[in-house]
Amino acid sequence: MNGVHDLGGTHGHGPIAPPAEEPIFAHDWERRMFALFVPAFGGGHFNVDEFRHAIERMDPVHYLHGTYYEHWHHAIETLLIEKGAITREELDAKIRQLKGEQ
Amino acid sequence: MPVVTKDMIPLIVKTGASGRAHGDAAPSFQVGDKVRAKNFNPPTHTRLPRYVRGKVGTIVMDHGVFVTPDTAAHGLGEHPQHVYNVAFGGDELWGGNASPKDKVYIDLWDDYLEAVAP
Repeated sequence: MNGVHDLGGTHGHGPIAPPAEEPIFAHDWERRMFALFVPAFGGGHFNVDEFRHAIERMDPVHYLHGTYYEHWHHAIETLLIEKGAITREELDAKIRQLKGEQ
Repeated sequence: MPVVTKDMIPLIVKTGASGRAHGDAAPSFQVGDKVRAKNFNPPTHTRLPRYVRGKVGTIVMDHGVFVTPDTAAHGLGEHPQHVYNVAFGGDELWGGNASPKDKVYIDLWDDYLEAVAP
């Protein structure tokens, strides 16, 4: 797929300059995203290639803005819905609940 | 559907998601062979980067037999095949004043490559 993920050889993204002491997780929610991947993958809901392709299928603007674990989050949601483990309605309802909307 | 139990977690975290295949496959290329990356543009998953398509490189290493991402990403089977580390010169990839001493090493699947006469 000739997607926005295939960045090799493109200009204008600035230097690659990771901080000297980069933490494994920049935010606590990223820790949870890593933990969520393990049972979802190990449970056979998707393989690693389906996971990578789900990231490639992200909206291009969201992809470029999103952090590494945001890509994981998107792929896990996409694949669990596509594979029928959860429904979009269940996910949306949970998000509304967490926002305190119901 | 397999069930992940607590005792399985350390192994999954440690080994990750290896794409190494159990099946066997004959290699089309040997270390030292010159190869050209094919020019194809599927709307589906591939691990052949755009900037290397149509470019000539040299096989540096044979990693062994791996699952093919292009099919596995779409429920079309594992299609075990060899994966090679291929070196491409900077001048070949970028032209102009790019140095042939600069190398980009990319892991590429057998199907991505075609032979080039030495």
